[in-house]
Amino acid sequence: MMDVLNEVRHFAALPAAAKAALARIAAPCRFDAGQVIYLEGEPAETLYILERGWVKATRMSPEGREQATLVLKAGEIFGDVAVYTDSPYPCTVIALEAVEVWAVDKAAMLDLIARYPELAVAVIRRLGERVLHYVGLVEDLSLRSVEARLASTLLKHAGVSGGRLVVHRRTWTTFDEMAARLGTVRDVLSRALKTLEDEGLLRVGRHEIAILDPRGLAARGHTPIDTT
Amino acid sequence: MSSTPDEALRAAVLAAFASDRRLAAANLRVGAANGLVHLAGRVGTPAERMAAEEIAGQLPDVRGVVNRIEAPGAPSPARIVQLTPQGDRLDED
Repeated sequence: MMDVLNEVRHFAALPAAAKAALARIAAPCRFDAGQVIYLEGEPAETLYILERGWVKATRMSPEGREQATLVLKAGEIFGDVAVYTDSPYPCTVIALEAVEVWAVDKAAMLDLIARYPELAVAVIRRLGERVLHYVGLVEDLSLRSVEARLASTLLKHAGVSGGRLVVHRRTWTTFDEMAARLGTVRDVLSRALKTLEDEGLLRVGRHEIAILDPRGLAARGHTPIDTT
Repeated sequence: MSSTPDEALRAAVLAAFASDRRLAAANLRVGAANGLVHLAGRVGTPAERMAAEEIAGQLPDVRGVVNRIEAPGAPSPARIVQLTPQGDRLDED
């Protein structure tokens, strides 16, 4: 538990006593790929600290369309917003692969926050960062085309492999996951990928997406929605 | 303190599961948001999984069901939920 706390942004700098207290109230849990950790609209009694693996937070719009809101990796905390606001979970969280998490009981966490002001400040900082993330997401969905959102998201997740800039498909899991994350559907995403491929910006492979023209892709990432 | 419509919906789904002999012992998890019911947990057969979806979907004010219940051979949940037109159910026999 102490290892993962040292990976959590803003929690690593907590006093040792606060970290030890947090470790005492956390319980280890494992989930297999595809398993639900919690459901949208369930009472929030637990927050989770992700130690190993990837999870996806997804939400259904009132119109019944799935929108992936976040893809989280080790060192992230989730379920906390609902716990702190005393509201049901705002989204469903699903393990994308076998994951290990630490479950922290709501009442115990609120008690710790009352006892350790440094922990309260760390929580505030994390929630503030989450607000900034959603401001960016709103801007993305309202101002940029699917191609633009796809281009910038690919660049954000690209890494160098064998001297090439690539996005490994494991990170993205499937086209459906990618479409949900970009706020669109699979068919539109496929067309967007083909458009970028036809423009010579990338090449879609079975296991990876190779970025052939990072500069061109970056320029595409700033393309606004065509309202003409 | 009065409950919200979604809280009442969730309670109704849990009560319906508790009174169904196929699902009472399954301890299925239920969430409700915007009139959509979200289901998770594990059952032994696809028929039980479908029964849970049908029971939840037939309750008043349920606009749709997102079925994430695990069962042998269960499909992945749809990413677009078929919404129930509110009011149509009243016309059915």
